[in-house]
Amino acid sequence: MSIFRLGDQRPPEPQRIADGVVMRFEHVYEVDPALMELTGQQDVPAWDTKRIVDARWDHLDWMHDHFADDVLLAGEGSETMPEEGH
Amino acid sequence: MSVAFKSAVDDSVVDELRAIIGDDDRVLPNLSSRVNRTRVPAPFPVHRWAEFMPDVAVLPTTAQEVSEVVKLANRLLIPVVPRAGGTGLSDGAVPVRGGILVDVKLMNGIHEVDLVDRTVTVGPGINMLKLNEELKRHDVFYPDDPASYPCSLVGGRIGTGGWSLLGARFGHTRDNVISMEIVLPTGDIVEIGEGGGRKLRKSSTAFNLKQLFTGHQGTLGICTEATLELVPRPEVEFAAFFAFDDYMKAWETVGVLTKAGLATLAGVVLFDEWKIAYLRRDDEAYITQPDSVRAVVAVAMYGTRAEVEPASKVVMRLGRSRGGKYLGDEISAGDWASRHDRYATPLHGRSKEGQAVLMSWHCEDAALNYSVLPQVREEWHAIVARYAERYGILDDWGMFAYTNGANKPWGDYLVEIDVGIWEERLDDENWAGWVNCKREISEVTLKHGGSITACHGATREGDAELVPTEMGGAWEVVKAIKRTLDPNNIMNPGKQSLDEAYEESLT
Repeated sequence: MSIFRLGDQRPPEPQRIADGVVMRFEHVYEVDPALMELTGQQDVPAWDTKRIVDARWDHLDWMHDHFADDVLLAGEGSETMPEEGH
Repeated sequence: MSVAFKSAVDDSVVDELRAIIGDDDRVLPNLSSRVNRTRVPAPFPVHRWAEFMPDVAVLPTTAQEVSEVVKLANRLLIPVVPRAGGTGLSDGAVPVRGGILVDVKLMNGIHEVDLVDRTVTVGPGINMLKLNEELKRHDVFYPDDPASYPCSLVGGRIGTGGWSLLGARFGHTRDNVISMEIVLPTGDIVEIGEGGGRKLRKSSTAFNLKQLFTGHQGTLGICTEATLELVPRPEVEFAAFFAFDDYMKAWETVGVLTKAGLATLAGVVLFDEWKIAYLRRDDEAYITQPDSVRAVVAVAMYGTRAEVEPASKVVMRLGRSRGGKYLGDEISAGDWASRHDRYATPLHGRSKEGQAVLMSWHCEDAALNYSVLPQVREEWHAIVARYAERYGILDDWGMFAYTNGANKPWGDYLVEIDVGIWEERLDDENWAGWVNCKREISEVTLKHGGSITACHGATREGDAELVPTEMGGAWEVVKAIKRTLDPNNIMNPGKQSLDEAYEESLT
């Protein structure tokens, strides 16, 4: 049985990016801890957060593959968030 | 009186079941097996869980075993509840009077893949995701795609008359089941298809019984085998999400897109202001969107590259024709992929004070015409707001409207309002309040000429008592069919107000 330790994998302090939402890693959003008084959260080391986020992309690719051979894209970025458009 | 009631299962019945099944490991009277076979994603009042358990669960592997179990139940007037994946959203597979639960998930084989006449014959316990993983090497596809795609099973889809995310392109469950083997409430085993054909898509012989046995919510029999449609595996998929600063512009855009005559269009979905506000809480695609994003229209297409590529350009033009702004490739492709698997979404909501709390997901669905969507949306949200204020355990998670017609996506929509319920605070008073809320939502649906369910089934209180009203004069036909096929009311009794079919025999 292993017990994970935060150690130097302790996530950085959160930055507020919207009402009720904070961010510790780029594009990884969390509910504001101030809203989590009734529902406790466990500590998650940085490596585990990154593993979960990376796995989400694998999951979405895996799901795409169930329905078609290829994903056709419009080839356009966001029009609502131009700074993220490509 | 000859109708089935609760708790006629004793040790002698369990012994008879063991003799029929011939394997004690597949006859399960123990508590944990029964508790687990009651669990559903949007539960009955969980504080009264014990009221919704079967007396015994069985896991048959053949139609003959199912038949013998049903004959036993019919002889002793014991309720029988069929269950596949248990992923339904209105307790269709939840016993309300105990009895024998027939769990079909061991009947999960692929019996035949016919690449000449384009069918696949399977047991009811197979999952669509797993089935399609097998079919992929043949370059074919079974196109039934609920939001529970990774976990729901073919038998449950047939029992509930399931709705598919890809229905506008490929049809829904009832359109993709070609024939079935059914164990009737008397225990007789019959083939149900188009006329007498097992692999025919159209017949005019006798009555069209196939539709009767897709969507009866387990009240008319148990499917033990199904022959399903095979379609060519799509070469490409294309998804595009458009944002709007106003709901009505988004609604108009949905109308334009669905009436454009694009044959590869698989679905168009409209998220309203409440849904976007909910997503802003913790969905990474929406958290950082500007306040001007107040409604979203999502489009998905499937087919050959030769079809989809030019059609995608039409979608991009029409999606912007009423002020829509493209959300970008990353959100469009990623969010669409996540739509196949909504049951993996962590379920939490907000208390009245804004605190994050664990909530279960309850969704009221309806079938409604395009013309009434804006008005229904206002009335439904007003109802939920009133009950949320009064009881303090409800959280409005917003509405969506999704193309509903198989191959004809323009006229009517699956409409759903998602509501979080704070289960830890649930008690009889709060539950009664929620049931009243559901009933008011359904009454609005009927007032606007809709149907109180497009896919989940009207099997739970709050909906069930309105089924006779919705069916009108046809309710007498429904009752006559139920009484004829299930003379002792053993098959999933207590659902959809069908007990009314037996009232004359009670007096």
